[in-house]
Amino acid sequence: MQEMSVVKKSIFTAVCLALCVVLPQAFHAVPNAGSVYLPMHIPVLLCGLICGWQYGLLCGLAGPALSTLFTGMPPVAILPVMMIECAVYGLMTGLMIKIIRTKKTYVDLYLSLIIAMLSGRVVAGLARALIFAPGNTTLATWTASYFVVSLPGIIIQLLLIPSIVFALMKAGLIPMRYPQNGS
Amino acid sequence: MKSLPTGIFIPGDSPIHRLDSSIKLLALFITVVTIVLVNSFLGYVIMILFIMMIAMLSGISLPVALNATNKLYWFFIIILLMNTFFYSPEDAWFSFWVFTPSMTGFTYGLTVVLRVFLALVISNILTSTTPPMEITHALEHLISPFSYVGIPTGQIAMILSIAIQFIPTLAEETDTIRKAQMTRGARFDSKKITQKAEAVLPMVIPIFLAAFKRADELSVAMEARGYRGVSGRTKKSSRPLLVGDYGALLIVLLVCLLQIALRLINLTRTY
Repeated sequence: MQEMSVVKKSIFTAVCLALCVVLPQAFHAVPNAGSVYLPMHIPVLLCGLICGWQYGLLCGLAGPALSTLFTGMPPVAILPVMMIECAVYGLMTGLMIKIIRTKKTYVDLYLSLIIAMLSGRVVAGLARALIFAPGNTTLATWTASYFVVSLPGIIIQLLLIPSIVFALMKAGLIPMRYPQNGS
Repeated sequence: MKSLPTGIFIPGDSPIHRLDSSIKLLALFITVVTIVLVNSFLGYVIMILFIMMIAMLSGISLPVALNATNKLYWFFIIILLMNTFFYSPEDAWFSFWVFTPSMTGFTYGLTVVLRVFLALVISNILTSTTPPMEITHALEHLISPFSYVGIPTGQIAMILSIAIQFIPTLAEETDTIRKAQMTRGARFDSKKITQKAEAVLPMVIPIFLAAFKRADELSVAMEARGYRGVSGRTKKSSRPLLVGDYGALLIVLLVCLLQIALRLINLTRTY
């Protein structure tokens, strides 16, 4: 992305943080939506992509905490793991979108997203296995909770996030990544 | 979405309202840690009485204090049942298929539920008695030592304060989009999960576009008024800490120490 002002990045991060609270509430009509559709991950990933790694990291750390404070979800017991997971998502999308430049916006977005989503899940699994639930975390439970149960959420993220980025570019709210290509 | 204003600030002049916001935030952190430390029946009784006393002093009504827990009754029941039926196969009352209900599991489930419940109530009391801006200033004050290692604490506090102020606005916006989708035939009230999910998903892109449009307008307005970041920005000086603030912090610390002592003595241990 082209550079945005610090003020704009800060306000966009604030909005992503607010969406970390509001979006899961919108999904509340669907039972178990939090772990299946992963609504809180969408603003965090988007924040990293649009504003950069520092802002993505902040959004990932503060988003779940703010949501717990205001709505009680995620519960305090799983909050630390979720904060770590989301922080890695925000950090990695920001770093990857800065590093990866293939001249095609969609490719950049998908590569950044996939790397971030994988690293977040690996780090969250390691955090569970080594710190928060040592002895109770196996490869099978990790795969089940981070890939199988949340498969609809992963698909939604891969479909929606690049579309949202493009919609924001077309609306002129964020700068084009490759202005010469019009994308 | 209508029930979102959990923890919204309720103006008042109670002793809890008058406390310094930094002290309240620090006390909240210590209280939550204390709740996690509790592992005895006596400890829970003390914590419940302590939080009830804070709720009474804050002058907020019982329904408001318990507002944050209203949506979580099913979560509490599921946690309790899952722990009762699966936690401890060793001392189960009986065994049927995969179910091994036990007193140990029930007690553990009750403990988890009670901890989450108490943490939510005390967080709700903080947000109900402290304006969002004061919470932000308190946060900025508490994290200010990190500025010595280059972390922009002022900017982080500004982002958090704007985020908190955006929550009700975006909740309202989401509700409007939800109603618009309903007029187009979205079935949020359907009993089928797939239909509910189909109704919710098309809302996501309009929510993001509306939210970012508002953010863009706000950033343009701030830049137009000369805002260039928090460095060099002045603010209203906060009042000095009073005896009551120190007293409140001391009481919270004493409760925490009492719980640590109870834990060490292992008096009337629950599990």
